[in-house]
Amino acid sequence: MNYPIWQLDFFGGGLLIAVIAVFHVYISHFAVGGGLFLVLTEIKGYRENDPAILAYVRKHTKFFLLLTMVAGGLSGVGIWFTIALLNPAATSMLIHTFVFAWAIEWVFFLIEIIALFIYHYSFGRMERKKHLLIGWIYFGAAWLSLFIINGIIDFMLTPGSWIENGNFWSGFFNPTFWPALFFRTFLTLIIAGLFGFLTSTWIREQELRSTMVRYCARWLLIPFALLLGSAYWYKTALPAELQTLIFQRMPEMKPFISGFTLFSPVLVFGGLLLAIRMPGKISRPIAGTMLIIGLLYMGCFEFIREGGRRPYIIRDYMYSTSLLKKDVPQVQERGVLQLAKWVQHREITDDNRLEVGREIFNILCLSCHSVGGPLNEIKGLTANFSPDGLDAMISGMHIFHPYMPPFAGTAVERTALAHYIANGLNNKPTMDKENPALKEKFVDIPEFDPDKDEYVLLAWSRFGMQFLFDAQPNQFLTPPKNALHAQLIKRGETPEIVSEDVTLSYIIEEKFPSPRIDKSPDQTNRDHSNTLTGSLSPAEGGFVAEGISITPYSTTGDFDPYQVVTVEARDTDGTLLAATKVVVPVSTELGCRSCHGGDWRVDNRAGISSTTAENILEVHDRLSDTDLLAKASAGQSVQCQNCHSEPLIQAEGKPQHLTLSASLHGFHANFLRERGAESCNFCHPSSAHGATRSFRGIHQDIGLECTNCHGSLEDHALSLLKAEQVKGKKGAQRLMNNLQPQEVTTITEIEPRTPWVNQPDCLNCHVDFEAPDSESAFNTWTENLAGLFRNRTDESGQLFCSACHSSPHSLYPAKNPYGEELDNIQPLQYQQEPLPMGSNRNCAICHTVEMEDEMHHPNMLREFRNF
Amino acid sequence: MDAATLIPTPDTIPVSWGWFQALLLLTFLLHILVMNIMLGTAFIALVSHLKNNRTSNSLTREIAKKLPFAIAFAVNFGVAPLLFAQVLYGHFLYTSSVLMATFWLSIIGLLMIAYYAAYVYKYKHDQLPSGRIFLIGLTVSLLLIIGFFFSNNMTLMLHPESWSRYLEQPGGLLLNLADPTLLPRYLHFMLSAIAIGGLSIAIFSSYKHSRGQQDAQLGIESGCKWFAYSTMVNIAVGFWFYFSLPKGMLAHSTPQGIFFIILLIAGLGLSILAIIRALSCRVLAVTHLTLTAVVLMVFMRDLVRRAYLKPWFTPQDLEVVPVYAPFILFLLSFIAGLALIGWMLKLAFEANANEEAQP
Repeated sequence: MNYPIWQLDFFGGGLLIAVIAVFHVYISHFAVGGGLFLVLTEIKGYRENDPAILAYVRKHTKFFLLLTMVAGGLSGVGIWFTIALLNPAATSMLIHTFVFAWAIEWVFFLIEIIALFIYHYSFGRMERKKHLLIGWIYFGAAWLSLFIINGIIDFMLTPGSWIENGNFWSGFFNPTFWPALFFRTFLTLIIAGLFGFLTSTWIREQELRSTMVRYCARWLLIPFALLLGSAYWYKTALPAELQTLIFQRMPEMKPFISGFTLFSPVLVFGGLLLAIRMPGKISRPIAGTMLIIGLLYMGCFEFIREGGRRPYIIRDYMYSTSLLKKDVPQVQERGVLQLAKWVQHREITDDNRLEVGREIFNILCLSCHSVGGPLNEIKGLTANFSPDGLDAMISGMHIFHPYMPPFAGTAVERTALAHYIANGLNNKPTMDKENPALKEKFVDIPEFDPDKDEYVLLAWSRFGMQFLFDAQPNQFLTPPKNALHAQLIKRGETPEIVSEDVTLSYIIEEKFPSPRIDKSPDQTNRDHSNTLTGSLSPAEGGFVAEGISITPYSTTGDFDPYQVVTVEARDTDGTLLAATKVVVPVSTELGCRSCHGGDWRVDNRAGISSTTAENILEVHDRLSDTDLLAKASAGQSVQCQNCHSEPLIQAEGKPQHLTLSASLHGFHANFLRERGAESCNFCHPSSAHGATRSFRGIHQDIGLECTNCHGSLEDHALSLLKAEQVKGKKGAQRLMNNLQPQEVTTITEIEPRTPWVNQPDCLNCHVDFEAPDSESAFNTWTENLAGLFRNRTDESGQLFCSACHSSPHSLYPAKNPYGEELDNIQPLQYQQEPLPMGSNRNCAICHTVEMEDEMHHPNMLREFRNF
Repeated sequence: MDAATLIPTPDTIPVSWGWFQALLLLTFLLHILVMNIMLGTAFIALVSHLKNNRTSNSLTREIAKKLPFAIAFAVNFGVAPLLFAQVLYGHFLYTSSVLMATFWLSIIGLLMIAYYAAYVYKYKHDQLPSGRIFLIGLTVSLLLIIGFFFSNNMTLMLHPESWSRYLEQPGGLLLNLADPTLLPRYLHFMLSAIAIGGLSIAIFSSYKHSRGQQDAQLGIESGCKWFAYSTMVNIAVGFWFYFSLPKGMLAHSTPQGIFFIILLIAGLGLSILAIIRALSCRVLAVTHLTLTAVVLMVFMRDLVRRAYLKPWFTPQDLEVVPVYAPFILFLLSFIAGLALIGWMLKLAFEANANEEAQP
């Protein structure tokens, strides 16, 4: 924000600092422990009066000087140069806060140089005692350098009470100062031993070589136990929250934690191995390998320490992006483009979107993500995301990925960034919902003769919006089941609901012959004799066919989410009493792939690919520590409902797990906040630009949105989660933490609800069946299953609401995107207009005469209001 | 674009800016002297090899022996002024560094190569008569490139009005080549290095001469010549540098302008005197005159920097949030450190003297 960003692609994401730091840290630790090694080995030489040992120390000193002073000293300066280029703001903060600590360290650096030169060049020329004293001074100065740098490095990880008091000493002697100092001190001794192996295995005289290699092994092995002890102390000194974060909630840390754990016994074993007498030809490669393992060991530790800081560079104070934690709300409100000093564009237009996205990427992402490089490569990490999906991901990335910062910018800036990454870098199409051309579908309206016909047959699908998760072979989300309802009315002045001595059957359109979804569309059985038919069984007040397995794929390979079903009623002799048609909707146009990758499976507009499904399982495994993908790959059944209960299909799940609705909505709501109805369309096939457009009834036509009845996604999720919270399920709170209620002020005002049971009630708005005063049905729920629109009847208790009004989401008069008549077949059949049955005083359809009593519900005897 | 909007907001400082200013000037003086010795002697060694006369072998052997020390101390003494410069001018310096990041970071790699080349040059000086020219040539070339990058950064930080170039080229590949002061400034510093390098050879030879090594006279003469001739050229380059500075930046009517003119005239006078003394090989006098002149030049350099930045910033603007204890601790460590270093050097010299006494 304050400084320009060095725009790196391949080398971005901190690669430069990672490389130079691991290199430097290894040598600089050697520079400390190696100093003690020199002095103590020199003493050993004197004590044993062994000139060969002294000659070895002298030679080792030259190696030590050339390595530590040139490569070590310069790479130390190199780290300083590098951090100042990669994160000038943090460097400036550390320099200004700790300037005199750095200055003191400089004094020690100077003493080190002079002491080491004198030690090296006066070896054998200076009185022994004095020479040793110079050696001790070198070691002392080197260790004090470590003392100072350790304070500053650990300040970055655990600034402790400095955050509140800003006190120099609080920051320097921070909570991990002492354990880290001990840890690093023991590490320096181990590294001294490792470098000792390198030089001692080259000693020509075998006896001396064995002696010295064993001596070096002691340098490695004795401090090791102390190192592990101090590592444990270091870990426990971390704030509890940070421990959880590093060791449990950052899957990215696992390889480094495992590496550190794995290399520990390897180093011990290597040390013991080298203690065995062996020829130089064998011991030298082992020593070299050990040195590399030591570097990896150190690298693992430093990665854990640096990684543990994420997303901060100075924990709880400054993000890796140089932004101060306290400034983020302001940047989110006013925008990064307005507040950053070094940007070319302050406004976003259609023409500059990609360039602006790059600028935002530079400011907010580049510090940790490379483009095409080895560190946190952004293209790979985001390969699954569409621009919209990535936009959603970025908006909630910090919630479940604790190493990510909250996005510091406005929603428009976030969109530009997502556009740059997903479209500019990954070539994903700019539009998720591509407005596909829909093939118009015509239907022959069945005939009805009001003078002759004795029956009126009304049929409806249980759900007006039905989707199916059809990934193969991982069909883990929704079972492919539709349900068809019907009521047969015998016409007359007092019509009767007929439920006995008749049989009702259905026939699905011919071009959907094989409804088994375990076949991909191109493998669908094309045997036309295999037409799907079935009967409706008598159920309370009507007939029902449960479990109709259909897919939206026709034999011609088309995607058709609105299959027309013919329903017939016959008497016991088989005589046709009445016939009608109805749409049974099913869609596989679920938006999972916007974030989980994969292509549409069918017709470039619908169908869940196995890539998408696998990614869903993979993400679940990563975030919830499961092994679903492995199970699915091994052919085991993976069903969400095995763990997550779902009242709709009476799946009980596991008691401590959230309901499927609560977990799905609760989790995704964190990424889809503040988007109104658009958030619903991310996943459900309800978008007005998609291939299904399943929200299509009168409510859609007059401009209402999903949120009018269900509330915003936040509210919707909160109501579900709150019910889980009340039941004492721990997972609910984690999902609720970042959700702000929209319709009401506080979460306490949100009424908890059980999915599929407590739903918005039509009468919330249509009080007494009148025109509504309110446009929100949110937060007052139906009490039980019987209260649901789909289960409710009129005031006579005879006729289901849906019989006259059709299914939820496709209420008459409905405009089906595939054909105007499709969703209005029965009104058109019986009353030649697409209105709810009996509207505009069409009582005679069933009653054969005009009626004067509003016996079905009040306010029904009038002209239809919205047509 | 208004350049002022690009200048980052600086951080607060723990003690008054004057302390940092004093420490900056003091440690920069140390750095520039050692850097000059390092680069100057290396350059002279290279030229001597190219001329390939017999004297050069003993001279270059001595330079070869000491060059790694000079690099070590030039780096160490460079750390402190860079630290204090970042405290006072960090928001300018970090910015210009990012603008030329690729070149700036390359300094570390180049220096490492130069340093190791200097060590190989030292250890193989006598074994590789042809290779050593390559080695010292490599060291000198790299040091000259590093100097050029430093000159670029030290001037780029003074030109916020040129920074908006970053918006078109954010890849860290900018330099300050359009600045008319860049070349004379760079040459001025490099020629100073040759002069001081020459002088350091003269001083060292003079020390040896005083201990009875008669052949050291050649070194005195050669060193003084290098000093005198390079300083002559440098006076001309100095004028070029002076006249390339923006007109009116250091107006003679202002106290800073007057101070600058006084320093300039004094520095010029001292340099001319030093040339005259150098031509007669009066090493001690040249040393005194030159050290004084270098001190004045360091002040002038600082005046120029502050004059450049005056429209944007003065160090007095920095907010002080007082924290004195670490400062006092630093001063104590510094004094104790110097005492310890003095004592260690004494031990080293004693050991050396003992060895020479017992051949």
